[in-house]
Amino acid sequence: MAHAGHHITPRKTLLRVFIALVVLTIVTVVTSRLDLGPMNVPLALTIAVTKALFVGLIFMGLKYDNRLNAVVLSVGAAFVLIFLFLTLLDTYYRGDLPITTEETIMDEERRNEALRSRDPGVSQAAPAPEGQQEAPAPEGQ
Amino acid sequence: MAHTEAAHADHPTHLQHHFVSTEQQFDASKMGMWLFLVTEILLFSGMFVAYTVYRLWHPEVFAHSAELLDWRLGGLNTIVLLASSFTVAMGVHYAQTDNRRKLVLNLALTILFAGVFMVVKYFEYTGKFAHGVFPGVNFEPQGVAGGHDYAEYNIPYAAQFFSIYFVMTGIHGFHVLIGMIAFAVILRRAARGDYSHEYYTPVEITGLYWHLVDVIWIFLFPLLYLI
Repeated sequence: MAHAGHHITPRKTLLRVFIALVVLTIVTVVTSRLDLGPMNVPLALTIAVTKALFVGLIFMGLKYDNRLNAVVLSVGAAFVLIFLFLTLLDTYYRGDLPITTEETIMDEERRNEALRSRDPGVSQAAPAPEGQQEAPAPEGQ
Repeated sequence: MAHTEAAHADHPTHLQHHFVSTEQQFDASKMGMWLFLVTEILLFSGMFVAYTVYRLWHPEVFAHSAELLDWRLGGLNTIVLLASSFTVAMGVHYAQTDNRRKLVLNLALTILFAGVFMVVKYFEYTGKFAHGVFPGVNFEPQGVAGGHDYAEYNIPYAAQFFSIYFVMTGIHGFHVLIGMIAFAVILRRAARGDYSHEYYTPVEITGLYWHLVDVIWIFLFPLLYLI
């Protein structure tokens, strides 16, 4: 006897979902041993997402629950995707800007300051100690 | 609590005073568990993102290093955890239909399957340690076993793969242990007859936690073992 809000999932449904999950696991393993080129990873992930949906919707009851629980999960998943996306934006484009040096900006300013106080006639752009991309400055006389 | 039997006559003992009805309490408990599960998803996503970045940076090393992980043991553990999710769902069903005996049986099976998972992981870990495959700075693969010459895997960034493997499966395994302890508590209460179709919330929400542990592994298995 169920309360109005409590959906009782039939045992047959639970068993069928379990069998489907086992079958999908076998499919994942078999397809991973084939060489599908660039499709191996997306296929494995698609099957994993399908399995997760089976567990989430049926075993965890999201299909029959208050919609709010599914919304909570979806928002969480959305933030995971945002997290992944922004991180990949950072890591993928590292090293692209050509103006990087081994020194920090503050180190460079400190060095310029020290040179200026020693010899006010020296130009602003002093070369980095390792002699990197900047143009060589005239030697202080 | 200091209330007398008479004071409790108007509402069931399991209904806490800040809730209007059993329904509301059940719904609130479920939503609370879902909110917690989202924090768990974000916890693991930190590690999944780390894995993704390193994999994109060194795809061949990661694919090569994965060969040292036994996909048959990983596959077995996947089936074992799926079975444990099945028994958890069956347990909830039997709690809803007032079948105490079968509820207790399925909770016991869940703990058993979880134990099998941990035993397999124990053998996987000790097998790795025996060949010098440790997380972090002590990574020094050596020896020959299972058709692999471990020294071949001592290449740059292979250590990162295995550090990520140990941390991800380690934290996941820790969650499995927590689940086993939680279910042991639930099992004891179920055997005492504490649960019925009127009140089985702890069974339901511990079950939700367990299903998430299963889902995490559903993603860990292909990403670490197969691709």
